[in-house]
Amino acid sequence: MTKVPKSAVASLALLSLAACSTGESVDLDGSADEVDSAVLRAAIGGEPDQLDPHRTSAYFSFQVLENIFDTLVEPDENLEMQPALAESWELSDDQLTWTFHLRDDVSFHDGSDFMSDDVVYSYERIINEELANAWRFDAVESVEALDDYTVEITVSAPTPNLLSNLGGFKGMAIVSEENVESGDISSNPVGTGPFLLSSYTSGDQIALEANPDHWSGSPELAGVEFSFISEPSTAMAALTSGEVDWTDNIPPQQVEDLVDSDSLEVEVIPSNDYWYLAMNINEEPWDDARVRQAIAYAVDREAIIQAVSYGTAQENQLAVPEESIWYTEYDQYANDPDEAERLLDEAGFSGGSIEFLATNEYPETVTAAQIIADNLEPLGFDVSISQPDFSTWLDEQNSGNFDMLMMGWLGNIDPDDFYYAQHHSDGGSNAQGYVNDDVDALLEAGRTETDESNRADLYSEAAQIIADEASYVYLYNPAVIQGWVPEVGAYQVRSDAAIRFRDTTLEE
Amino acid sequence: MKQTSETGGEASQDPSGSASPASGRVAAWKLLAAHPVTLFSIFVLTCIVVVALAAPWIAPYGVNQTDVSRALQPPSAAHWMGTDDLGRDVMSRIIAATGTSMQIAVASVVFAFMVGVPIGILAGYVGGLVDAVLMRVVDVMFAFPVLLLALAIVAILTPGQLTTMIAIGVVFTPIFARVARASTLSVRVEPFVQVSRTMGTPGWWILLRHILPNITGPIVVQTSLSLAFAILSEAALSFLGLGIQPPYPSWGGMLFDAQGFMSQAWWMSVFPGAAIFIAVLAFNLLGDGLRDVLDPKQRTLAELRRKR
Repeated sequence: MTKVPKSAVASLALLSLAACSTGESVDLDGSADEVDSAVLRAAIGGEPDQLDPHRTSAYFSFQVLENIFDTLVEPDENLEMQPALAESWELSDDQLTWTFHLRDDVSFHDGSDFMSDDVVYSYERIINEELANAWRFDAVESVEALDDYTVEITVSAPTPNLLSNLGGFKGMAIVSEENVESGDISSNPVGTGPFLLSSYTSGDQIALEANPDHWSGSPELAGVEFSFISEPSTAMAALTSGEVDWTDNIPPQQVEDLVDSDSLEVEVIPSNDYWYLAMNINEEPWDDARVRQAIAYAVDREAIIQAVSYGTAQENQLAVPEESIWYTEYDQYANDPDEAERLLDEAGFSGGSIEFLATNEYPETVTAAQIIADNLEPLGFDVSISQPDFSTWLDEQNSGNFDMLMMGWLGNIDPDDFYYAQHHSDGGSNAQGYVNDDVDALLEAGRTETDESNRADLYSEAAQIIADEASYVYLYNPAVIQGWVPEVGAYQVRSDAAIRFRDTTLEE
Repeated sequence: MKQTSETGGEASQDPSGSASPASGRVAAWKLLAAHPVTLFSIFVLTCIVVVALAAPWIAPYGVNQTDVSRALQPPSAAHWMGTDDLGRDVMSRIIAATGTSMQIAVASVVFAFMVGVPIGILAGYVGGLVDAVLMRVVDVMFAFPVLLLALAIVAILTPGQLTTMIAIGVVFTPIFARVARASTLSVRVEPFVQVSRTMGTPGWWILLRHILPNITGPIVVQTSLSLAFAILSEAALSFLGLGIQPPYPSWGGMLFDAQGFMSQAWWMSVFPGAAIFIAVLAFNLLGDGLRDVLDPKQRTLAELRRKR
């Protein structure tokens, strides 16, 4: 699959508590010298599989890499694209040529200068090696260096979402050719970001050290140490006892108590992730849309949300969350077993045993699967749940070896991220095998439509067809839940769940 | 080979039961009956078996019936052992899991018995090259830590009840083989076996009629202890997500679910844990009691005690 779920730490919620961290006044001038800087200890839910930003698809990797690498542009807290390595850019009148002007004062952690060749190399690596994110360059015809600090990207058709493709997450990071060619990048990456990797002890921790020469100024922290704690209650205990300063691995059942607590800062904000059910349309009885719709009526979303997130997640029957400018209201499905029964009768379905593909690496899939199994039992479905590890899960999905599965997509920004790969008949992640010419046409039109409101209409229409025909049965948008000790300041929880420590402070 | 051991297993009951009184010794079951701890363990095991068999009728709620609005309720009159994170009745699930656990324990131990005992007897009786080859194979299997071998087997097959039975059965096979062989080695040099052999009795008849009945004691004890460890292994596999698959309940799986709620819902972990504890303890105590009765040395002591 192309855009693999960045992994997932589950749990979501919605209550915009935005930036209400500690009330400390924050010194953002970057003069680290006079500050008694400290090392922040962060606990994340698992160990990165590797540290090559172009090759990994694990969220755990991106939690670390977010601080090591930069992209040409990067999303701000509202997920609007802002300058990063590119200081400014221009779009030609025909909308086919993008010219990026790069910062001339940036160097990699190994001391070499960052120049336009690095951008060209990074992008060509993704395109030529057909890496997981190559689809983000589908519309790109060429990436050229005009001079040392200017890059020109030519596209075959107007591509309104090019910026979010280039900078949406660190999977599009600018890497150093030398670092890649030597093969060190997977364990010792060299980036341009605010922190540099100082040590990596497999199975134990990853230590980062501040990069005083970062273009946004030297970080306030002297460094960050990531440790890996997979069990949320253990991570929580570590945070409470002061073993770590920050974690995103918080048991959702405790969120309610923690938000009110004085001894810890816990924030819950809505995310752009979504979780869904998909059925294998290539196989009976799922090839009949009525059977899929019956499932959509049969599942008890409220119970699922309560069980997986303790009410922190937000029910949604489409993918795009309510806070997004691309949101479309849609509530076709209610928990209605009678309607489900009627649809199944109409489709001539008479019951049978089905395999539900969940994975123990995303425990919410196993939890929800048990509720769904209970929901479907009265309809004549005997659901058996398999819960392999995630890599096996991906194999099974890609080889079509499932009846029904549940998974989530993380880190979506543009509506194209939400729908194209998953529901276009040629989409790279259309594992369920959905084919609808109207949807194809709408999604293709959305890729080139430059007027924002027309574009929103196209995606709104496509999304409703997708949900009507139950290509995916959308379940909910999770929340980002992160917590830290009160000594941590100037940290902001982001709805794309990217973890940026570059402005963060820590009192001793 | 299976056939041999099956008939053998039944045949073994007779000699040990009927021969004892004839020799003026105390019957095994009388010794057992005089042992209150053993009696108690038998009583507990009987209860467990009854619960397992009657599960569908005595479970107060549907096993997989979720109701999130009633999640994490502490023990009450409606839910004697509380509810779990999905609002399922913990007691109903423990009751349902009893049957599963027993099935797996019994099936896997029977498997290990059927395969391991014939291998052990054959190796011990025939000796020589056959013994060397079979026992080296058994040694190799012994070299793996029990759980690791079971994990490897589950990883190759797909997780599920049958796989769990096979995995635990395979892991326990070498234990039975070794116990059976060691006992056979000591029995085959006994005069009555030697005499039988010089009379030209065929090998299989000697194995069946003379060897098997006389090694029953250690094997019966081993069976009881293995049942205890099979229950533990099943719980461990299910805890790791490789045994019984959700939504179907198992004690180990329930413990796994409970670990995120240790501080909020003690009942989710305490009751399945207690179920494992009781079942394993009962089988262990029974094994101990049986050993006292069936092991000649211990038995002599017990008889002496009785006479006094």
